[in-house]
Amino acid sequence: MADHEATAHHHEHHPEDPQAQATRRAILQAAIGVSAGAAVLSTLWVGAGLVPREEKIPSKEPVAAGDILVFATGPKAEQEITLDDLRAAQGEKIPFIIAFPKSPENVVKKDLITNTLMVILADPAKMSPETKQYASPEGVLAYSAVCKHLGCTVSQWQNDTWLCPCHGGKYDIYNQAKVVGGPVPAPVPQLPIKVEGGKVVVAGEFLGKPGADV
Amino acid sequence: MYQWLDDRLSIGKLYAKAFRKAFPVHHSFFLGEITLFSFITLVLTGIFLTLNYEPSIRPVSGSLSGGQEVPAAYYSILYIDSLPFGAVLRSLHHWAAHIMIAAAFLHMLRIHLTGAYKNPRELNWIVGVFLLVLSIITAFTGYALPFDNYALTATKIGYEIGAAAPWVGKLLSDILFAGELSPTNAQTIPRLFPIHVLWLPLALIGLIGAHLTIMIKQKHTQPKYAEKVAPGKIVGVPLFPQQAAMMGILFLVYIAVTTFIAGAFLAHPVQAFGPPTANTPPVKPDWYFMWIYGILQIIPANWRFEFLGATFGPQFWGGILVPTIIILGALAIPFLDYAKNKQRYLELPSQHPFRTSFVIGMLMFYIMSTLAGYKVDLSLSNGLLWVLVFIVPVITGVVSYIIMKAVYGKDWNQEVEVKLIGKGSAADD
Repeated sequence: MADHEATAHHHEHHPEDPQAQATRRAILQAAIGVSAGAAVLSTLWVGAGLVPREEKIPSKEPVAAGDILVFATGPKAEQEITLDDLRAAQGEKIPFIIAFPKSPENVVKKDLITNTLMVILADPAKMSPETKQYASPEGVLAYSAVCKHLGCTVSQWQNDTWLCPCHGGKYDIYNQAKVVGGPVPAPVPQLPIKVEGGKVVVAGEFLGKPGADV
Repeated sequence: MYQWLDDRLSIGKLYAKAFRKAFPVHHSFFLGEITLFSFITLVLTGIFLTLNYEPSIRPVSGSLSGGQEVPAAYYSILYIDSLPFGAVLRSLHHWAAHIMIAAAFLHMLRIHLTGAYKNPRELNWIVGVFLLVLSIITAFTGYALPFDNYALTATKIGYEIGAAAPWVGKLLSDILFAGELSPTNAQTIPRLFPIHVLWLPLALIGLIGAHLTIMIKQKHTQPKYAEKVAPGKIVGVPLFPQQAAMMGILFLVYIAVTTFIAGAFLAHPVQAFGPPTANTPPVKPDWYFMWIYGILQIIPANWRFEFLGATFGPQFWGGILVPTIIILGALAIPFLDYAKNKQRYLELPSQHPFRTSFVIGMLMFYIMSTLAGYKVDLSLSNGLLWVLVFIVPVITGVVSYIIMKAVYGKDWNQEVEVKLIGKGSAADD
């Protein structure tokens, strides 16, 4: 009964009470605002499902000491690179090999872009002391092959410099991949390397962060 | 039969209202129609392509790949190319996309040069800018679908440019491409495919609908001569039958010419590029991205700083900031150059030397930054390219302003004479 009275009271009260009307409008507006905000937030929350999930699989592990370098492309893909392969490449138009690391468990770590490597047999006499320090005594050198500019594979060779075909970035492989041309923001990191039984083996971690610098 | 349909659909009313809509007669008015025809062609050829395309990179092998294991998406392109006229239809899809963007750009140029974006058409100018941007984005999301080495590398550059946006870039790029773009990321194609064939085309259809509805509601701008022929009246030919016949003929000519181009110049030979590998071929973007590509080549690498955890570097300046400024500038044009009264008639470019020379300067900027895209091929130095990209457009603009003032300046106060040869000749022009 009291309930009914309250309703009736409210009903006849509000037309002549602008104060009550204003209060009610404010409450409704706040309610609309809150629910619109909640709708946007929950959409974002659901939208978070669009961000791909990182999968932890052996082929996505970063390069590590003890990995053996294998061909990344070509007819010999996934075969171990030997010193003889590098010697044969020396006289070619492109004197280096694009490589992937292979773990001691025989998994080729090809699903992580920053594992794309460049390996070359170069003249140790031309190398700067720092570069030489992380190369093998035979002159085997390795760098991350992912261009620091926009992530292309640095895959060309022009007048003794290492060239990225996408925007013309140039690196000096004899001097820790120092940038000598193009819009590249930083040198690609060197990868310490050694040769064991004719195979090219990773001797340590990258000397910097691999991958495009954005 | 007609009576039966008319009773149900009131065709008579529709005829009187819609089919009698007047179309101004000038060949530059067909640019918008060519854009629309390209879109129709893209949808039709796109239907054919989707029916034969497998949006996946699961490894498959078969006679088409010579027994080699290749991604299914790549293999399905080889399959499409092996179908009767399959390669031509795929090529037609490719060229129609180029023509659509070119025609939309020229259409915008015509609107800009004649001041047709002014009151009351600001809104349709904005819709138009979004249409062009969305068309380019749609074209870009189709790049990677053939999943050959060239396409993937070109798309990869887009991924990294997106990732260069401060704070949210990496997240947005990862959402668009389903993680880092790589030859082995199995989620990328299943994500790009519906975006390219469903969501962006739906958005385009919606915007095209809005664009045309607003145009019909506001009516075409009238060519300058209409003011002399019949001031305050709408001059033109009715949609049906005259304009419809012209549009029909133009559509047939369009299809004939583009199919000829598609057959004569087969686009994007995936077989020559091969499936994606860790290696990168020398890539160049399509012409409508070449100016961004050029700017990226000439911005010095050391122009970078960190701010609140985000890096602002050359990729951001060239790949994101410059295009954003240009898009925002385009959106602002109708408000910077505003007409108080409603504009009915097109303006003569010669009577608006500032606007016209500004457009010429911008075109020069576009041409010069496109040239910078060939920096490596033409062995051009950075210093020279900076002059070409940033100084030459300014000089071009100033010189064309001076020339226009000298040539047309003295006539501005004179009325433009329109000679009429016989009755109604302007409408038949």
